[in-house]
Amino acid sequence: MNGGPAENRVRLYLWWSRLAAMTAKELIQFGRDTLLLIAIAYLFVFDTYMAGNVGMQLNHAVVVVHDADHSAASRELVYRFRPPYFKLGGEVLDNRAGQRLLDSGQALVALDIPPHFERDILQGKPTDVQVQVDASNTVLGFLASSYAAQIIGQYGFDQTLARLGVTERSMQNVPMIRDEHRVWYNPNQNDAWFMPIAELLTVITIMAIMLPAAAAVREKERGTIEQLLVSPLTPIQILLPKVIAMTLVILLGTAVSLFFVLHGMFDVPMKGSLVLFFAVTALYTFTTAGLGLYIATIARNLAQAAMLAILVLMPMIFLSGAWTPPEAMPAGMREAMVLSPLYHFIEMGYGILLKGAGLDVLWDSLLGLALLGMVIFGFGVWRFKRQFG
Amino acid sequence: MIVRRIVALAYKEWREILRDRLFFTLAFVVPAALMLVFGYGLTLDVERIPFAVVDQDKSAMSRDYLHRYIDSRYFDYKGDVASEREIEPLLADSRIRLAIVIPPRFQESLMSGRAVAVQTLIDGTFPFRTASSKGYVVAINAAFNSELLGSYISRRLGVSEETAQAMAQPVGVQLRYLYNQEVKSVWSIAAVLMMFVLMITPPFLTALGVVREKENGSIYNIYASTVTRGEFLIGKLTPYAAISVINFLVLWLMATQLFGAPFKGDPLFFFLASVIYVTCTTGIGLLVSLFVRTQVAAMMLTVIVTIVPSVLYSGLLVPIASMAPGAKFEAHLFPAMYYTDIVLGSFLKGVGLEQLWGKVLALLIYAVVLWTASFLMFHKRPKS
Amino acid sequence: MGQAALVDNDAPVVRVQALVKRYRKQMAVDGASFSIGRGEIYGLIGPDGAGKSSLMKAIAGVLSFEGGMLHVLGEKIDSEAAAERVKGRLGFMPQGLGLNLYPELSVEENVDFFAQLRDVPPEELARRKHKLLAMTRLGNFRDRPMKHLSGGMKQKLGLVCTLIHEPELIILDEPTTGVDPVSRRDFWMILTQLLRERDVTALVSTAYMDEAARFHRLSLMFDGRVLIEGEPDVILREVPGTLVELVAESQVEALLRLETRFPQAEAVGPKLRVFVPGAVPQVARAQVEAQLEGLMVNEMQAVAPELEDAFIALLQRRQPAGQDDAQKSRLWLDGDPPKGDGDAIAARELSRDFDHFRAVDRVSFEVRQGEIFGLLGANGAGKTTAIKMLTGILPPTGGAGTVAGADMRHASQAIKERIGYVSQAFSLYQDMTVTENLRLFARIYGVPNSRLAERIGRVVALAGLSGVTTQLVSKLPMGIRQRLALAGALVHGPRVLFLDEPTSGVDPIGRRRFWEILVHLARVEQVAILITTHYMNEAEHCDHLALMHAGRVIADDTPAALKAALQQEAGQVLDIAAEPVLPALEALEQAGFADAAMFGKRIHLLARDITAAEARIRTLFAERGIQLLDIALRTPTLEDVFVYRILQQEQQEASA
Repeated sequence: MNGGPAENRVRLYLWWSRLAAMTAKELIQFGRDTLLLIAIAYLFVFDTYMAGNVGMQLNHAVVVVHDADHSAASRELVYRFRPPYFKLGGEVLDNRAGQRLLDSGQALVALDIPPHFERDILQGKPTDVQVQVDASNTVLGFLASSYAAQIIGQYGFDQTLARLGVTERSMQNVPMIRDEHRVWYNPNQNDAWFMPIAELLTVITIMAIMLPAAAAVREKERGTIEQLLVSPLTPIQILLPKVIAMTLVILLGTAVSLFFVLHGMFDVPMKGSLVLFFAVTALYTFTTAGLGLYIATIARNLAQAAMLAILVLMPMIFLSGAWTPPEAMPAGMREAMVLSPLYHFIEMGYGILLKGAGLDVLWDSLLGLALLGMVIFGFGVWRFKRQFG
Repeated sequence: MIVRRIVALAYKEWREILRDRLFFTLAFVVPAALMLVFGYGLTLDVERIPFAVVDQDKSAMSRDYLHRYIDSRYFDYKGDVASEREIEPLLADSRIRLAIVIPPRFQESLMSGRAVAVQTLIDGTFPFRTASSKGYVVAINAAFNSELLGSYISRRLGVSEETAQAMAQPVGVQLRYLYNQEVKSVWSIAAVLMMFVLMITPPFLTALGVVREKENGSIYNIYASTVTRGEFLIGKLTPYAAISVINFLVLWLMATQLFGAPFKGDPLFFFLASVIYVTCTTGIGLLVSLFVRTQVAAMMLTVIVTIVPSVLYSGLLVPIASMAPGAKFEAHLFPAMYYTDIVLGSFLKGVGLEQLWGKVLALLIYAVVLWTASFLMFHKRPKS
Repeated sequence: MGQAALVDNDAPVVRVQALVKRYRKQMAVDGASFSIGRGEIYGLIGPDGAGKSSLMKAIAGVLSFEGGMLHVLGEKIDSEAAAERVKGRLGFMPQGLGLNLYPELSVEENVDFFAQLRDVPPEELARRKHKLLAMTRLGNFRDRPMKHLSGGMKQKLGLVCTLIHEPELIILDEPTTGVDPVSRRDFWMILTQLLRERDVTALVSTAYMDEAARFHRLSLMFDGRVLIEGEPDVILREVPGTLVELVAESQVEALLRLETRFPQAEAVGPKLRVFVPGAVPQVARAQVEAQLEGLMVNEMQAVAPELEDAFIALLQRRQPAGQDDAQKSRLWLDGDPPKGDGDAIAARELSRDFDHFRAVDRVSFEVRQGEIFGLLGANGAGKTTAIKMLTGILPPTGGAGTVAGADMRHASQAIKERIGYVSQAFSLYQDMTVTENLRLFARIYGVPNSRLAERIGRVVALAGLSGVTTQLVSKLPMGIRQRLALAGALVHGPRVLFLDEPTSGVDPIGRRRFWEILVHLARVEQVAILITTHYMNEAEHCDHLALMHAGRVIADDTPAALKAALQQEAGQVLDIAAEPVLPALEALEQAGFADAAMFGKRIHLLARDITAAEARIRTLFAERGIQLLDIALRTPTLEDVFVYRILQQEQQEASA
């Protein structure tokens, strides 16, 4: 073919025109699927809202006490187990009763104060308080024991200082370290700043994989793909519009969720550049959609596509740090996380929204995401081309 | 109810599943794979928290103090930085999650009997990690302080170091972790994952199986025949429930054998309770399938009613006990929560029907309600 | 049980009284009434969306309805429970080729499953299965998964599954749509024989008007109502008139003139066919001649109209067709690309292998600009595969071809830009409107934005879609959908058109409209058209036909030449009406008339020596006590050709 510049311009124009036509088609079809729209609205709005109502914190954990001393000292200790972390669930007559309450899940912590507790403290004799914690839920078990140990430790410390006659004012003259921790980015450790963001990014991932996969499998099942294949469209021109349309829809959902739910209802700060955030979201959606397309080439029907999507989605989410911090991953897994695009996305999401980080800081995550995305998307297109090209 | 017809329906369904090789494989691979990945990957034991240090004292004492962090398995020392200003970009980029700032004259002040403030800067983006980090910091500080206080008492009261140490720490803590002595999260998570996997796969299999029949028209064979509604529902779903029960057994084996989670309860009780749970989740899929016409819709609806609540409201990650009242109420609406208690009770606590009858009853009611609703909603002579 | 005894044997098996079925606001059945007697084959015909399927579902007890009364097998169907009581005694096969079967299961497993659903005892099942599978010639395919059966076999399997519990009433919704003529004949043979043996009542709907002649009685439905009911002959008498066939020069001009006066005028291949309502032959001829004054007219013939003509006349009284016919649009303007001439499609020794199976075997043919080329053959003969290769979707294993001047091996992209394609299944987007679909395809094919509106307007007018442009495709009836698919394929003005069973399942009026457009495209606009179809009367429209069997072209000529060759080779076609017809057929087969076959209610057979054959038949029937009502010579139809050629091939393969 002799390609003069004019002819090339026409060809380029045609390419874009086809792409635009197909994208418009995807958006029209999308708008007609009421149930899908409702499902997406639910996930972006209601679901992120719900996520703001739960958290991984110790909240009014029930403590039962077996107080064998019944002294002023024991009462003061018991009194320190109070909200927001703990709540006193009453006294039991013996350890057995405490055990039963733990067994049935009615209490989380059983405190056992030995006899002569006050006398031993006054005489400077070491005494032990027994704390039994239900560790069947590790999060709660860990937090409860940690807080209980802190409370009891502080209590002992205070007792000693009191005995030494140290007052609030003379504290400065005791050699000790005063713990002055400052929590950044989320000073009140508000779960409502964390969970909804994690949920939003998870929802974006689910959508980015499932929507293009469903759209592509549907064309296969209904036979409309045939009409496209006999047209002059190239496989890229068939695939790309699906991804572009879904990306637009997801960006819209993200914007609604971010402005109305996250910022509107939970006051999640938006410290960094929103332009950057949406650009990253677009890049992420776009690349992750490649996985959806890959699934669509393997699956012959939607049932298969759904199972494959779960198989891909779940590890991706779990390995991302959305539900558990990367620091809680075992050694090998923590390294494997860099392979989950969601990991990079989440780092950037928190970085931009909560930390106000810019490109100067996040460029490496962006690079990682872009590289992974190119590999994933390229793979998806390659499979599709091989199947239909 | 004619058993022969139910068997015929179930057998046909089974062969159809069997011949869709990919689907059949996935029906077994997906649960096992999820268990494998999560079992190894999903732990909540926060360790190796990356941190940096600003040591403005650089004394023997400050190094001694810092080594308590550096040597701890909970922290991962990333190096010293010169000033506080350099910390911020590191935190922003998630290279470190924590920074310790030791003030000038740290050693001098402590030696001369004055208190010193040590600043820790903690990344607060993930509240659970923040709480864990804070806990570790407090514990290290407490240990260091009690030593300082011991020598202070010994100097001030003139008692021996030993007595002084005892006086500095008058109340000891005897911590006993019940049910999971080593607080291994893999134990409880492996167990809870059974809940998760059995919550997700059966509804998907069922909903898509039934809707597929509706979408391609073979449901008319059922409508036009003398098969009763009950026979159809039972026959159609038995294979899916059976697959789920097999999956349940595989997961059980994986949890105990592969992840070493102890099973202390009554196997028979646990098995029966699990069958009720599977019946429940299969029923969810069935109900979904009766609401929708297309497989895409079935897929989306199933995601909404299963994955989301089973992550957020089941006790998998987020403890029910620590929820706000509204969220707690929602958690009680999903069967996942009850089964989580049954799994943990059977695995780690070794309790049985005596303590858990309430939860089993809840599941049973749930199953009955789901199946009755489905039965009433399924018509062999529909409106359209 | 006592109640069953009370039901008297002459009571109708089905009685429908003013039945009303609504889907939300849309009326599907609007007060239909009729009744079906025991042992009858009752037909339901009518255009798409007339309410046939809804009505059949309601009778089968799988769809509730809002008004009217329905009695089935003596039971008043007014609740789900009442419907349940009769379901054991009826069989229902919904619309769609094999859609109610289970693709992953084998033939035998499908049958077993249906039997178990219906509580057929095992010994009884074995006996019936053996018999039915032998009868449908599926016995050798017991272990083959249903998804690997051809369309005709799927349909026969569906019938076996519906009959396995020996129901008293069977309800079949368009059982022969999308099935080739040979399989269709098999299907009807089996059905007729089984019904006769067991005194079963059948309610059948069909889009093939030639099949309507097989019904004892039938209802023509329109817009949810029964337009006319009765025996086929009675209905024929209801619409008096004459069919005039002629050849005129020029055909285009003649057709235009005829259309202005007669609503039912169409071009069939070289001939023109005009239905002159209410006129006896002489009057009809005179009227037609008057209309064509000044044109050269040859071979004018006045014959009796067929059922199809009668139905179209009846329906057109209700629904005056063709306001938009008046403004016949053209695909091209004068400034548009020149009309090509010469070869539009050339296939040379095309072959395609799938795994170890050769789907297309050295196929060669040529199609010139302005020619309508028909590709005929049973399901699975390789037609679709051949089209896929020519359109550039599927690379050939061997051979070569050019399409629209481009080599299909190197320039598949160029081919794709120059052709239009309408696939077997409707493959435009149902959740978009007509205009949205057309815009999409116009832009895909690179129609510049400035000409978009004009081009869309042109194809909308051409396909007669102007009334529905803003409607969702899912709400349109089948016939209009197919015209939309055609419009979509034409929107960029292609010189070559590929149509793969475009009219499958479309009602007769819809098919006529469709062909009007095709004929216009070929004759006026010089478009080359390659089409496949199972309707043999549609094949008559083609200028050229190729008959495929097992991947090979076994005959390739004009329709007239194919018929002439048949007469040359196998003799004349004798058209026989006899009573009772089935024993007559059996007698003929036993007497050595191997090609004797049912055509509607009549029997066709081929004979070289007409007088000798007629004498033999007369004596044969006399011996067996069969009444010979009529025996006449007929020009062979394309269906005769098709059936003869395919059976000939099958016999050769069987003996080889």
